[in-house]
Amino acid sequence: MLRFKALLSLIAVMTIAIMLTGTVQAQNVYRIGLNVPITGGGADAGKREVIGAQVAVNEINAKGGIGGAKLEMIVTDTGSNPHDAVNAVRKLAGDDKVLAIVGPHYSGVAESTFPLGNRIGIVQVAVASSKPGVAAANRPFAFRNTLTEDKIAVAVVEAVKKRYNPKRIALIVDIKDAVARAIGTKVFPGVLKKADLNVINAKKPVTFQTGDAQFTAQVTKLKALNPDAIGLGALGPDALNIITEARRQGMKQPFFGTAPLIEGNIPEKGGSAVVGTIAGSIWSTQLNDSRSRAFIKSYKELAKTLHPGKFTANPDYYPVNSYDAVYMIVDAIKAKHIKPGMENLATKRIAIKDHFSDMKSFNGIASDGFNKVGDGKKNVHVFEIKDKAWKLIK
Amino acid sequence: MLAQQLVNGILLGSTYALIALGLTLVLGVFGKLNIAHGDVFMFGAFAGVAAASFGASLALAILAGIFVSAVVNVIIERSCFYPLRNAHFLAPMLSTIAFGILLQNVATQIWGSDPSRYPNIEAVTQFEIGGILLSSVHIVILAVSFSVMLTVDIVIYRTKIGRALRATALDPEVAGLLGVNTKNVMFITFLTAGALAGVAGVLTAVVYSQITPLIGIRQGLIGMVAMVIGGLGNLRGAMIGGILIGLVEVLNDAYLDASYRDLIVFSLFFGFIILKPNGLFPQPSGNRS
Repeated sequence: MLRFKALLSLIAVMTIAIMLTGTVQAQNVYRIGLNVPITGGGADAGKREVIGAQVAVNEINAKGGIGGAKLEMIVTDTGSNPHDAVNAVRKLAGDDKVLAIVGPHYSGVAESTFPLGNRIGIVQVAVASSKPGVAAANRPFAFRNTLTEDKIAVAVVEAVKKRYNPKRIALIVDIKDAVARAIGTKVFPGVLKKADLNVINAKKPVTFQTGDAQFTAQVTKLKALNPDAIGLGALGPDALNIITEARRQGMKQPFFGTAPLIEGNIPEKGGSAVVGTIAGSIWSTQLNDSRSRAFIKSYKELAKTLHPGKFTANPDYYPVNSYDAVYMIVDAIKAKHIKPGMENLATKRIAIKDHFSDMKSFNGIASDGFNKVGDGKKNVHVFEIKDKAWKLIK
Repeated sequence: MLAQQLVNGILLGSTYALIALGLTLVLGVFGKLNIAHGDVFMFGAFAGVAAASFGASLALAILAGIFVSAVVNVIIERSCFYPLRNAHFLAPMLSTIAFGILLQNVATQIWGSDPSRYPNIEAVTQFEIGGILLSSVHIVILAVSFSVMLTVDIVIYRTKIGRALRATALDPEVAGLLGVNTKNVMFITFLTAGALAGVAGVLTAVVYSQITPLIGIRQGLIGMVAMVIGGLGNLRGAMIGGILIGLVEVLNDAYLDASYRDLIVFSLFFGFIILKPNGLFPQPSGNRS
């Protein structure tokens, strides 16, 4: 019995000691959260976002942290679904007491976590969500370090016009995915009309659902319309299947789309079928500026030990967005003279929100700050598939 | 366009038919449902893609899919059905739900969540027959799936093994008394059902190019719809049910809107369950399913 009591006391003392160490450590750190999919359908993209953000955290800490205080990042898993993502935001804000959160990934998830962020009073910076209007509907704490698809579409349509000079455009739309649906039913019809192009099926586009196993019916229908070019309101993997099926059915017309097309390694997987496809994005490994090159090098190095695997080995624009988002939070901490530690959290979180609201410019790898509705300001680059890669055309 | 769309529908329906056939075999013989069947299909698809990415020919890729899916299905039989053969009738079915989720997670760990793709078959020849366009890939798919269906039909209705299977389906106890080794029948049934799912998986990967660890969920459900429409436990019914669903889906996408597809397919499913629970081709009486 005596021995049992002694053991119990030892455990108690150790627990208190560990808790105290935690407090002491926590007093001299800046803690941020990263809430992205580590499991579920978006797992691979989410893991790349973790690596991108961690590259930023490592760089900052290697240079002595922020004013001598270490930057700490707590990673949570949205499970690629709104339910887990909302719980993760509660945990990060309530238990981990982070200053701000990088994430979530999807628009559909952001539509659930953004309202919660407003209720708690904590900034979230989404890194992939690009459905128009999601941040605007959730002022003042919701931000997206992404470019909405309408802005990308304008640049893409201009490039398609120059390259192919089409007159009649047909649209094919994913009616299940929030972003792809918005691109195909709202963004492209508007942008194409402004560019004086005739959308022959704007009122009744050819439709499919995300992840459909077959596109034979849709492509036969597209073929019957006989357009000069086809606009894709589709995610990368589906777009690849549509284009491949179109070539199988003997269609030769070019396809074009916006940022989601850049996902899923279409050029490598599609072979000769996808050559000439045009899409736009905010960043690509094809960009050859010194900061992009440095980021790619650091990313590849870290990816050997953090979430290693062939799906995470190379960066795309998502980890660039998460990398820049970490630096944006650090920028806010410095500009608002926020002190490390967990005290006065609400005030500190509001200060970060205020700084973001006024962030008219920012010098990131692919981020120039936020506009008045909380969406990212970025340059658009338009690419065309050639030699099994997206090649910059603008 | 209608003729082309009908061909498209048969093409899609032929893979659904293979999935429904495997589900029906297990249900017909044991009166039990393998919910993880769609995930067995998914594993076969990935095995085929993996083999092809190492340079295997289409025939070898299909064999790889058959082998992996058959093995996985036998593991399901050994872990979810055999140990629970005397438990409540729902127990094996519920354990296959868990097994299916397990398979999805294992696949995500091995092959990642980004879609995997069957390597390009660049040498595709196009044929135009009376305005209907068919590629060599499509012809291979149709030939393979219909010959597999025909083989299963012959084996089940014309051979000794088939007789043992049908006898076990009618009454396992009497079959046992008559000298049928029902334990072996169980093994053979799961092996065959798995192999069928494997063929369907690889063919789906070839013709529709991309697969993800979650692809089996909907395919498995569609297999069940086809099974119900064809008549629970009726193998020929399952094949026809699969092709019918393929036609319904394709005609919906061609003339209506993709957003109505699941509404129509699952309304049909519900309609059959309520109004015609024995399906289009009811199983002869005496079968417990």
